[in-house]
Amino acid sequence: MTGKEREIVECMRRELGSDLIDAKTPRERRVFLRIKPTALRKAVNALKKNYSTLRFMTISAVDHGLDFEFLHHFHVDGAVVTLRSVKPKEDNTLESITDIIPAANFIEREITDLFGVKIPNHPKPGNLILTKDWPDDKRPLRKPLEGALPPQARPVAEALISTSCVAPISRYMERKREEAGLPKTSSFAFTNEKDMKEFHGIMKDTSLSKKVGFDWKKKKLRYR
Amino acid sequence: MVKYASFLGCQIPMRIPSIEIASKKVFEKIGLEAVDLQGYSCCPEPVISRLLDKTAWLATSARNLVLAEELGLDLMTLCNGCYETLLEANEILKHEPEERQRVNDILKTYGREYKGLVNVKHAVEVLYEDVGPEKIKEHVTKPMKIRVAMHYGCHLYREPNGGDITRKPNMMKELTELTGVEIVDYGLERLCCGYPSMQADEEFSLKQRLLPKLKNIKEAGADAVVLTCPACTIQFEIGQILLREHGIHYNIPCINLMELLALSFGIPSKDLHLEFHKGPTSQLAEKIEGDVNA
Repeated sequence: MTGKEREIVECMRRELGSDLIDAKTPRERRVFLRIKPTALRKAVNALKKNYSTLRFMTISAVDHGLDFEFLHHFHVDGAVVTLRSVKPKEDNTLESITDIIPAANFIEREITDLFGVKIPNHPKPGNLILTKDWPDDKRPLRKPLEGALPPQARPVAEALISTSCVAPISRYMERKREEAGLPKTSSFAFTNEKDMKEFHGIMKDTSLSKKVGFDWKKKKLRYR
Repeated sequence: MVKYASFLGCQIPMRIPSIEIASKKVFEKIGLEAVDLQGYSCCPEPVISRLLDKTAWLATSARNLVLAEELGLDLMTLCNGCYETLLEANEILKHEPEERQRVNDILKTYGREYKGLVNVKHAVEVLYEDVGPEKIKEHVTKPMKIRVAMHYGCHLYREPNGGDITRKPNMMKELTELTGVEIVDYGLERLCCGYPSMQADEEFSLKQRLLPKLKNIKEAGADAVVLTCPACTIQFEIGQILLREHGIHYNIPCINLMELLALSFGIPSKDLHLEFHKGPTSQLAEKIEGDVNA
């Protein structure tokens, strides 16, 4: 990392504080700043305030199936700086920066056209490259809301993470076990609050639940 | 007395509890003390978790191993899938200090640490090595006069450090022979039953994996299939039902080695609750009992 990249990272760390999740400089004149999506406008304002030579390049949108990744690329004193933010697809919005950087106007509308992402604070929303009557539910680059798992594997992953067991027990089986002289269920983690908390803790401490797209509030996968 | 921490896994207690019942009765007869793990979780299943997140797979396995370590016991599994997961996770945790440290950093949040003191064994190994075929044979009071085909299950061939992969299948075969059955060869013993590929391609799994086995087993004249793996059992039983939708009709009963041993020990089939099976296992047992008593 040369002095310029280091200076940019340090400047943004100062400006964004905990809103800056991660900073990477994989090669000379290249800076990636992973930011919280809520801090997008704050980050753009910070770049504009600190670098008078700031030039907006473009925005890349990537549909990862469960999440959208937005990459806002800028040219700063010879280096390319990318603000990387990730939003769940269920949110389906991107904050406009057109009022800060007018050149972002068309690319933001193009993202709406191709991915169906809404940009609520855009000064002039509307189709840019698609026809006016283009159907909302058929966006050319938008993928279905799906994670990495094939359909048959989804119930297994959901059961594992939510219950600690890949073969959740039914009332019928509980009754049949008791009729056979067995306890309702074997001594699984889900039979004890402390053990279950521990199991869920491990799931959250690692990235399995994130990779399969598990919603901890709803206790199920974000997709079927 | 031989004593182990018993890891039942998910499929046995939740889908085929007759294996749980039979194993408890067999262990009691042969003097094997099996202590059920308290608060255990899925091993975890070896396909999804291991492929997507090795750390989650290892940490979950390590937690299960810690539960046995805290009891001061080695771990015995009845399920082939659990055996593979726990065996392989244990090998990594024992021989790769950096991985163990990474996993222990997660476990310490919950006041646990895996020291690497546990050995993992399949119940087949425990019966063969710790109890011994001679002692088991002493308890066979009702030899089974049936012809059976063996399905060892892919994971039973897992052997660490380049060992003989046929070691445990051979043990399973010998233990099965103790019950008096005649084992018929059908040539496709090593072919997977298709259970893992059901999650990706049901038709391939049923027609390219299960069906060739069923055809050969029937042609070999077997009355039943002997298994140790509950997942393979589910594949054989549910698979035969699903094949009916394709106009293919088989009705071959499956029996777990523990159930077969229990029957040969003279334990009545009604006490084993073989009705948990999704195939004609109860009918097979009733037929055997009728023939033995005749």
